[in-house]
Amino acid sequence: MRRLAMGFIPLTDAAVLIAAAERGFSMAEGIEIDLHREVSWANIRDKVNVGLLDGAHMLGPLAIASSLGLGHVRVPLVVPFALNLNGSAITIARGVYEEMGETGEDLSSGLGAARALGKVVLARKAQGRDPLTFAAVYAFSTHTYLIRHFLKAGGVDPDRDVRLVVVPPPFMAESLRNGLIHGFSVGSPWNSVAVDADVGRIAVLGAEIFGWVPEKVLGVHARFVKTEPDLLRRLVRALHSAARWCEDPANHEDLARLLGEPRHLNLPADVLRRTLDGRLHTAPGGALRVHPDYLILHRDNANRPSRDHALWIYSQIVKSGQGEWTRDAAREAVGVYRPDLYDAAVGPQPEPADRVPDCVATQFGETFDAERFLQNT
Amino acid sequence: MANELSLRIVIVDDSPVRAAILSEGLQEAGFHNVLRIEGVNNLLGRIYAIDPDVILIDLENPSRDTIEQMFQMSREVKRPVAMFVDQSDSATIEEAIAAGVASYVVDGLRKDRVRPILETTISRYRAFARLREELEEARSQLEERKLVDRAKLILMRAKNVDEQTAYGLIRRTAMNEKKRLAEIAQSIITAAELLR
Repeated sequence: MRRLAMGFIPLTDAAVLIAAAERGFSMAEGIEIDLHREVSWANIRDKVNVGLLDGAHMLGPLAIASSLGLGHVRVPLVVPFALNLNGSAITIARGVYEEMGETGEDLSSGLGAARALGKVVLARKAQGRDPLTFAAVYAFSTHTYLIRHFLKAGGVDPDRDVRLVVVPPPFMAESLRNGLIHGFSVGSPWNSVAVDADVGRIAVLGAEIFGWVPEKVLGVHARFVKTEPDLLRRLVRALHSAARWCEDPANHEDLARLLGEPRHLNLPADVLRRTLDGRLHTAPGGALRVHPDYLILHRDNANRPSRDHALWIYSQIVKSGQGEWTRDAAREAVGVYRPDLYDAAVGPQPEPADRVPDCVATQFGETFDAERFLQNT
Repeated sequence: MANELSLRIVIVDDSPVRAAILSEGLQEAGFHNVLRIEGVNNLLGRIYAIDPDVILIDLENPSRDTIEQMFQMSREVKRPVAMFVDQSDSATIEEAIAAGVASYVVDGLRKDRVRPILETTISRYRAFARLREELEEARSQLEERKLVDRAKLILMRAKNVDEQTAYGLIRRTAMNEKKRLAEIAQSIITAAELLR
């Protein structure tokens, strides 16, 4: 039996890692996982770097930015397994959401909500009022890229017309309540927590912006791959079995209870159940916003790290002005995601024959084409 | 050459005691420009206003991610430099992380100017952790003694024996079952409550 120390941030999409540790999937591979709950993505990165953690639940963009040495000391990370696709949402402060309702746009569609928010932001600008402030949980995160895309689709320049800040998830609802921020883009269950506290309304689900957003991954230090290839294969297999179990709706009740435990997310099981099922209340006890792809833990080949997804993340880093475009950096970014390691562990997975040009399935606004991105820039 | 003792140092730590211990340590080492920040409201605004050369922050502080965003927004920082961890000294970084603290240093600041600050920080954090462990240990020892005392009383009444005999019984059972005294004491108390 080998012991591995694995870090996680209390979010619904730590589900596969937590289930692997607590429902026997790692034991079946001869691995005992010690889970460590962490308070920041920076801690996750640093503890993996110095070896206090063997691996962790990680934002895809964090794994890539760290490997490129953007924003911090360079930490070479490797992604042999993707923990999920999608799972986030954008929540808007009650007052601002009411203003959005008065614009006449159809708030039930993603594009309608984007246009409504755009009108509110631009009207404030025309009146010379203070710009609205929106929060994400980390600079290098899909949540940052989601809200930037959403704002742009509504005609807003995310660098000039609004302020984008970083707020740790546990402070999101409180910051919304006291007016420090006017909305946020964050993973579940924090949107539902803000709705239940009656301080915000879920305006759009992540899956309504992009059909397949590369979310959290298993990130390990590059030295792990070199020194313990067999152990890594076993770990990936354990996660793969856990993911299949997590995806099955028949297990959602047990999974919600497991995640809700004080040592994990410390939240009511029913809130977590709603996020696992993709049935979110957008207002307290009220309207539901339902999406079958709200959070994908296993199906749609979700666990195989996609190189196109890595390239999309890099394109977002460049677009957001977080890093300069270079061909070397693009190559390095793509190399962080390792479908070969995944295949070596769970068996060869054929690339789907009809490879979609837009690997994130953009629902509105500017689309992404991996080939074109590489050629044009 | 600028005097390193005049470097502006900011401490972000939710534990006021630990922040005080660190601040005192740095002052003793001659750094007179040390400021402590508490709370999360407008953290970045306050840090910008201070415009520090070095930021020290405890690892259990969720605001680390907020601070790191500053590196992405250099246009908002008054000086045209980014804050970076000193990349050149990975051993010190490892020691610091193990001690429970992270540091951010203005880009370009020389290693030898920062090293005494980091060394003081690491040693004070370790001292604080030891202190807390000792306190924790003392507290749990006290709790355990209280449990054993209660269990002794129960046995003395139930079996009509003296204190020495009651204690002997608990100790023998603990040894036989390879458990701690407090565990046996706890089961005696639980059993007595059930049978009451």
